[in-house]
Amino acid sequence: MNNYFLLFVTLLFTMPASAEKKTMPSDAPTAYETECASCHMAYPPGLLGRKNWQNIMSGLDKHFGTDASIDVKVQAEIRQWLNKHAATGNKYSAYAPDNRITKSRWFIHEHDDVGPNIWKRAGIKSPANCSACHMDATKGNFEDDNIRIPAK
Amino acid sequence: MIKKMFLVLAVLSFAELAFSATPQELLKGYEASSGKALPFRGEEFFNTKHGKEWSCASCHENPPNHDTKHIVTGKLIKSLSPNINPDRFVDQAKVEKWFKRNCNDVVGRECNAQEKADVLSWLITVK
Repeated sequence: MNNYFLLFVTLLFTMPASAEKKTMPSDAPTAYETECASCHMAYPPGLLGRKNWQNIMSGLDKHFGTDASIDVKVQAEIRQWLNKHAATGNKYSAYAPDNRITKSRWFIHEHDDVGPNIWKRAGIKSPANCSACHMDATKGNFEDDNIRIPAK
Repeated sequence: MIKKMFLVLAVLSFAELAFSATPQELLKGYEASSGKALPFRGEEFFNTKHGKEWSCASCHENPPNHDTKHIVTGKLIKSLSPNINPDRFVDQAKVEKWFKRNCNDVVGRECNAQEKADVLSWLITVK
């Protein structure tokens, strides 16, 4: 009995932090890929809290400097899905300024060892381009052993 | 039973027709509500800025006969030329959606039928 308890505790502490719902849910509507991921990566909804996602979905005609407006029905479908899978844990659900994942406290903290000259590399272009360094970002895998920073 | 199946097939193929088109058909549609398209005018429109930060070519490059990257996000954009990429300009709703979004970004308003006709008529020639 005691052994089982030990095993449980060990498992608990060795579980990666990513278990906090950063992965891409399997029930993503196809519209999430066709509408949102045509311009940028399909960000796993667990990277932002509900309030941020709702703000984003309410202002698609002025979406970070571009018009990303979509059909009302499709918008409702995506909004509902984001709401369902938005981050709830303390870390990822904290309000991100300007609704930008890249301005959230956790993002800045996780990337504090990445210098400004690295962000500017042509192979990266923008901090929003997760896949530039995180090889399996689209699957929601942001583990340290899955990072390859482009040399240029 | 067979009659029923034919009916279903007929309805399905009609639905298909309502959504799919060819670039030439779309061009005709735009010309019908404006004037004759001029490819050189479309080329100029595509490659010039219109008082805002970007031109169409900022993301699609000139000529848009190859895959490119979004100027901000770096996301892959497949070639815009229907000669290179057969998925381009075959779905009217999709075409309208992107004209709306991208014209707002590049021109600061929606494009009119003449501008769409011109640009499309040029893209059809890009190889």
